[in-house]
Formats: sequence, C-alpha cells, structure tokens
Amino acid sequence: MPNYFNSLSLRDQLAQLGKCEFMDLSEFADEANYLRGKKLVVVGCGSQGLNQGLNLRDSGLSVAFALRDSAIREKRASWQNATENGFEVGTYEELIPSADLVLNLTPDKQHSSVVKEIMPLMKKNACLSYSHGFNIVEEGVTVREDITVIMVAPKCPGTEVREEFKRGFGVPTLIAVHEENDPLNEGLSIAKAYAAGTGGHKAGVLMSSFIAEVKSDLMGEQTILCGMLQTGSLLCFNKMVEKGIEPGYASKLVQFGWETITEALKHGGVTNMMDRLSNPAKIKAFELSEELKNIMRPLYEKHMDDIMTGKFSAGMMDDWNQDDKQLLSWRDETSRTDFETTGITAQDIKEQEYFDNGILMVAMVKSGVELAYEVMTASGIKEESAYYESLHETPLIANTIARKKLFEMNRTISDTAEYGCYLFNHACFPLLQEFMERQDVDVIGRGLGLNDAGVDNQRLISINASIRQHSVEVVGKKLRGYMGAMKRIL
Amino acid sequence: MINLQNAAIFMNGGQAFKSIDIKVAAGECSVIFGGRGAERSALLECFYNPDLVTDGTYSNFARRVGIVSLREQERLILREETRDDSDLTDQIFPGTPVFDLLEETSLDKDLLAHLIDSLDLNSLLGKGFRKLSSGESKKIILARALSIKPDLLLLEDPLEGLDSLGRTQALGLIGDLSKSVTKIYSLSRVTDIPENTNKIFFLDSNSVVREFVCQSGVQARYMVSSITKIESREVVLPPPAEKRSLPTNPDGSLVNIRNATVKYTENTVFENLDLRINPGSHWQIKGPNGSGKTTLLNLINGDHPQSYVNNICVFGFRKGEGESIWEIKRNLGFVSNALHWDHRISVSVINVIVSGFFDTIGLYSNTSDLHYKLAYKWLELLGLENERDQRFTELSFGQQRLILICRAMVKHPPLLLLDEPCRGLDDADRQLVIALINRLCADGDSTIVYVTHDLEDEISFISNSLELV
Repeated sequence: MPNYFNSLSLRDQLAQLGKCEFMDLSEFADEANYLRGKKLVVVGCGSQGLNQGLNLRDSGLSVAFALRDSAIREKRASWQNATENGFEVGTYEELIPSADLVLNLTPDKQHSSVVKEIMPLMKKNACLSYSHGFNIVEEGVTVREDITVIMVAPKCPGTEVREEFKRGFGVPTLIAVHEENDPLNEGLSIAKAYAAGTGGHKAGVLMSSFIAEVKSDLMGEQTILCGMLQTGSLLCFNKMVEKGIEPGYASKLVQFGWETITEALKHGGVTNMMDRLSNPAKIKAFELSEELKNIMRPLYEKHMDDIMTGKFSAGMMDDWNQDDKQLLSWRDETSRTDFETTGITAQDIKEQEYFDNGILMVAMVKSGVELAYEVMTASGIKEESAYYESLHETPLIANTIARKKLFEMNRTISDTAEYGCYLFNHACFPLLQEFMERQDVDVIGRGLGLNDAGVDNQRLISINASIRQHSVEVVGKKLRGYMGAMKRIL
Repeated sequence: MINLQNAAIFMNGGQAFKSIDIKVAAGECSVIFGGRGAERSALLECFYNPDLVTDGTYSNFARRVGIVSLREQERLILREETRDDSDLTDQIFPGTPVFDLLEETSLDKDLLAHLIDSLDLNSLLGKGFRKLSSGESKKIILARALSIKPDLLLLEDPLEGLDSLGRTQALGLIGDLSKSVTKIYSLSRVTDIPENTNKIFFLDSNSVVREFVCQSGVQARYMVSSITKIESREVVLPPPAEKRSLPTNPDGSLVNIRNATVKYTENTVFENLDLRINPGSHWQIKGPNGSGKTTLLNLINGDHPQSYVNNICVFGFRKGEGESIWEIKRNLGFVSNALHWDHRISVSVINVIVSGFFDTIGLYSNTSDLHYKLAYKWLELLGLENERDQRFTELSFGQQRLILICRAMVKHPPLLLLDEPCRGLDDADRQLVIALINRLCADGDSTIVYVTHDLEDEISFISNSLELV
C-alpha cells in the first residue's frame, strides 16, 4: 500500500500538516446530540475503550462492545469488564453490521488487522473512528468509499478520561476528519458529538488532520518522549555510578526523577520546571541545555526528515515483515543495561532533591522538549500540535518509566514509538559521549553544594527571559489556560 | 514505654502541636479525645511514623506497631493507584486481592487463619481491594494491624463503619489481645471509649493536652462528657438558588426500582430488589457490611454501571433510554466516602459548596453572586466562614465532611442521598449534621435516603426502612 502522505501534492501536504485549530466551546452547543439514537460499537475493551464507553453512555448514547469470539467464549478479562459494567457484548459479526459508529480502540499494534476484519461487516455509510492515524497515513490503508473516517483522540490515559468526566469536566481532545472518506460531509458533526460525549469539549478540542497527528506524534514519541528519556536514563545512571554514587541511589534518582521533574513541566511548562531549581542551578541547567541543543539538533532534524519522507515507517514495516527481528534484539539489549538491572535504594528521596541533584536531567528535558518543538514547527507542523506531541506528553512517558523502568516502558508503548526510540538511542548515546565525559556529580547525583547561592542579576534576567519567551512556553501557557487545570475555578 | 517530651508534631498543612508531653506505659490502654480530628490523627500517627515529630525528644519501645486509621486506609488506596497499570497494559486492574494484602503483613499462618475466621473474611479473600465496601475494607485494615502481632496497637475510631456483628467481632479480637499489648485509641464518640481505659489524653481547643487517669470506661466516659459541652441548636437553612418543580415519575414517585439485580462474575450483591421512593417519605437503608447499601445508592444516582441493565425509573427518566447522567444528578444531592475521596483536588472551600449547584467535583461553570452569597451562609452555619478561601484539602477530615454535606444540601435537592455522612465527625459536629438533616426534612423540599450503622445517629423524620441482607 502506498504511503498516503507521499501521494499528495506539496500544496496539500503543507495544508494538512499545518492544520490544527482550537475550537470554541460555542461550537459544541449541540453536545452529543448528533449521535443520540445512533448505535455506537466499541472494538476493544481496554483502558481507553472501557472508559470512553462509560462516558459516552453516561452522555445518553447507546454503546455496545464488540469482542473477538474467543474473548467471549473464554470469558476473558475484556468480556468480564464489558459485562460487569452493564454493556451489551457481542462478536464482530453480531454487532458491527448494525453500528452507525464503530470506535476502533484496540492497541495501535492491532489496528490493521482489526480494520481489515470489520470493514466488510460495516453497513453502508457508517462511520469508522480511529484514535491514531498511522494506519491510514503511513500504511496507506484505503477505507471503503461510502464509510466516513474520523479520528477522536483524548490526549490523556483512559482512566483520566473517565475521572475527569465524572467530575463534570473532560480532557483535551484532538479530532480530525479523513478528507478522502467523508462521503456525506458529516464527519465533523460526528467527531464533535463523540468528543462532547466523552466530556472533551469542556477541556478544549483541537481540530487537526490525520497527517498532522501522525507526523507530529511520530516525531514526539521517538525523540523527546521515549528516545531522550531512554538515552538520558542510561547516560545519567552510568555517569553517577562511574563517579562513585551508590548504584541503588542512582537508579532511583533516574527512575523517579523524570516523573518528578516533568510533573512541574505539566503544571507550568519549562518555566516552572526551571523555576524549581535554585538560581545557580537554573543557570547551570540552562547552559547545559543550550549545549545539548547544539549537539543534538542535527539528530532531531534527521528524525523529522525520515518521518516526513516515509523512510522511517518503511524501515519499520520492513522489520515487521521480518518478525520484528531488529526491534526484539534492541529490546533485549535494553533489558540488559545496568540501569535496568540495578535495584533501587529504599532510602527516601524528597521531591525537591530530584531537582537539586538532577540538574542534568532537567537540562535534558528542556533541550529535548524545545528541540522537538522547534524542529516540528520548522517543518510546517502547527505550534499547537507540536506542543501536544512534545511537552504535553512527556510526563506520561516519565510516569511509565517511574512505574516500569525502560524495558517495560518500551514494551507497553506502541510499536512505532518503541522502534523509533531505539533508533534515536543508538544515534544519541554515542553522540553525547564527549559531552558526558565533561560532566560530574555536581550536575547529576549530588547537587551543586554551594554555600553561596548568589548569582549575577543581569545573567539571571536574560536566562529567565529566554526561557519564558520560547514559543513552546507562549503556546503552552495559552493551551493550558484553555484546557487544563487553569480553566477550572480554583 | 512511649515518651514524648516538648515534642512538636507536624501534620498535613502545618504544625499540630508546638510542644507536648505524653507518656504511655507498656500495657496501658489510653484514649485520645477532643480537639480537632486532624490533631488527634497527627498525634496517633506520630507513634507509627516518628518523622512527624519535628522537635523535642521521642522514644518508643514498640517494635511492631499495628495501626487502624483513615490515614492507613488512604495509604492503601494510594498504593493501589500506583499499582494500577491499566493505562499502560490496557488490562483493567481489579485491585490487589484481599488475601495478598493479609499475607503481606502476617507473621503467623495460624493467627491469620484465626483473624480471617473471626472477622468473617473468607468470602472476601479473592476480591480486589477496590471492590470492597467501606466496612469491609475497615475489617481488612484491622486484620492487617493484628496480623503483625503488635506490641503497640493504634486505633482511630476502629468501630466506625462496621455493622453490629462486625463491631462485636472487632471488639472480641481486641479484647482477646494479651494484656501486654499497649493500646492507644483516638476516638470521636464518647460511647466508643472502651471499658478498660486507663488514661485519657484530652485535647482542648488550644492543642493543650490534659491527662486524666481513670479506673473504668464508665468513669472515662463520664469525665469526657463533663468537659465536652454540646449545645443543641436550632438551625435555619439558606434557601436554594432557584425553585424547581418536583421531577416525578408518571406514577408520582421520585425513584422506582423494580426487581433489581447487581452481580459480578464472582458474586451477587443483591437480587430482586424493589424500592419505590415517594416525595416526602424518607428512607433509611440498613444492612450488614457488603450487603450493597452503597451499591443501591449508586444505582439511584447513576454512578453504578449496572444501573443501565436494571429496571429503574428516576425523576421521570427510564434509566438507559437516552438520558444523560447530568440530567439525573441535577435533581439530587449526594455524600459518600467515594465522593469525599474524589475531592482530593485543588479547590477552595467556598467553591466546593458552590460546586453543589452544578453537581461537579471542582468548579467549571459560570457562577453568579447569588451562588456565592448562599454558599457563604452555609459556611456561617458551620462556623467555617474564615476558611472560605482555604484549600479544601487543608481542612481536617471532619471539616471537609461538613463542607461536603452542605455541598449536597445547597440546592435543597428533591432527593438527598446520604451514605454514612457522619463518618469522621466528632459528637458536636454530628449533632449539627443531624440538626441540618432534620431541618431539611421539616422544610419539606427534600426526600432523604440515609445509610448509617449508628443507632445514635438516627433521624426522627425517617419512617421507612429497607433492610439488605
């Protein structure tokens, strides 16, 4: 199947890449009504499937779950989840033919096979919804002409989608309509109603395109999100151990450090993350991050280029055809790294200590977020998309590392993210060798340990201005204001 | 022996005590009473977690400390949240099975078997912690505390939330403990002061501890009652923001549930349940722990997913026929332990009350001056008007509970569902809440469905009761 993006003219490519606009709440006055009385069938009863299904039903919509024969026959967990939650459950054959809207919420890895299976069963003019566009854009799957194809992607994990809905709010949501498949010109109405049914309209909806979603998603996940955190984990851990820091402490500082640091990022962007450091540490982190950006910029650009040309996905799909040979060997390599195999200390590390002793980690997050964002926007992706696929998602992966370290993190993220993560790591790890040789425990492991925290005013002012005036901060502040906790009345 | 001297004790949001002295001899049974709930909790907790003592000297003989407290329950719930990897693995997490939780702390297989038997936990062993009712999880926490063979046992309102059989079982187990086990209680109800109390640490309003030695429970209860004055008071409720017509079903009822069944793969909560609630006829739901009281209330308010597969008519809607959950919630007020737990968010005290007009947890809507004016009147009623702009989570558990009760009442909802509303409240606050509920009944706007295990918390207006088994 041809790569869909590459089949478009440059003009269309640019138009699609640059699509991402914030929709006003007034555009959702009709809430979920467009779908009232229609039949929604969810495929996949994992975290996103179940929690979105619960929200949609609580919004007055009719929701059923289609599972594989075997899952029903063997009463697997997915069957049990759907049944105990009072949903109608049936096989694809039983439910898909009567569905007006099919929500494909299976893991990314299963998209192709699931779509292949359900497409022939769908009734004329029904609608198929995706949560991620790889299947359409990169694999080039063509969907039957009469079927409407949309994307609705809440930008948070399934449990959060549910919790926010129960509070009376929602999570920021991205929607898109596949222009090749909108025969009745109703894709947008369906996508809006679906987003409203999950509560997303209250937290803000971004209207994007399949292409913008896929290209920015791939870029974010393989560079700052998974790749940078993987390379950073290995480098920081090795450095600390080399310099005599107790390995259990080093392991813990890295494993939980990303999560703690990026929690500050989530609430107040790079600005707040940097503000958590003392003034001398902030200046140090700033300098390190500037240097890191210089070293890594060509690598980030290469990743973006390979994603745009389709070289990345072609390489990965080749590996799929060889039974994931490369992916599995890289995964195995990850499992044997010292960071992965070293247990963590029982010693308590206080929240602030993660910042004070993890200056280099802060610098890595800052440089990675800014680089991914800068390279994406320089390639025609809108600022809002670039923000979501870089800064916004970083805490989610950091949380995964806190729970699972690297090996399991890689196993649980999508194939595309994992493959891209390893590619990045293999290039970035050697690239930063020389830089790392010059670092010591003052920036990773032990803190600056200064008696005098004095700094030069002019220097601090110019650094603060530089942090705050970065475009990712300007856009981030606006989006968090529209969508996140700040919109709430505290 | 345990010795605190000139000790400063830290609690969530600040200092609980600047300088206190407390001595407890090994084998003693002492009771912490009075003061604010948060201070009692902090004092009890510091015997378990010495990090809370920030100044002064502290020594504790105990090698194994068992604890039953809200804080301990919170720790377990939070740990369950970190164990929930459903967003990563795409597999729904039912919670750690009860048996694993018990085995984790147990030092002795025979003792564990005895505890499981005595507290009647056999049917719960396979259940995930998240699926337990509040009373059931209380029993698990007690069993864990006893399973470590404690030499010091810390008990914060250990009977609260337990049904009468559960209370007997719990009292029996605690009573059977060897005399050498030191026990420190933190209690909010005079009636819970145990028979063999040796010592009362009474906290007065300035966080000063007064110590009383006593010979018996009767004497202890008498002493405590004589220094805690509870004035019964008449309350006048602020009016609702708007008057709405009563949202009844075609048959005139507010709620009509017919032949309801709630079941899971491994167990059935109840079957063939009928309940018809008419306007003005108030109900008490009774029944042992785990009999489905909370489940029933959640069928009514729509929070229970199986409400969609039962025959339920509520406020003129036939459940599952296209109504949204907000159309139901706008007609009711609700207080429960789960709702309280869900309020761990950054929001001010007055906004929690205002959110009651919108049925949201947190505030996301356009408000009016009238909402704030009314909410302020509710705060005055509670005597919490100075806390209006404080973070809700910085209040003590009991104060939070009072705020949530007002949140549920602000709109004088046609139906008010109160699931163990008095949990964590001391005697004076409980009297206030009961006065509020009685007033609301007398005013005639709201119909009440009420769950409690405490006979002394009964509401005089309630004439109907449903007993679950």
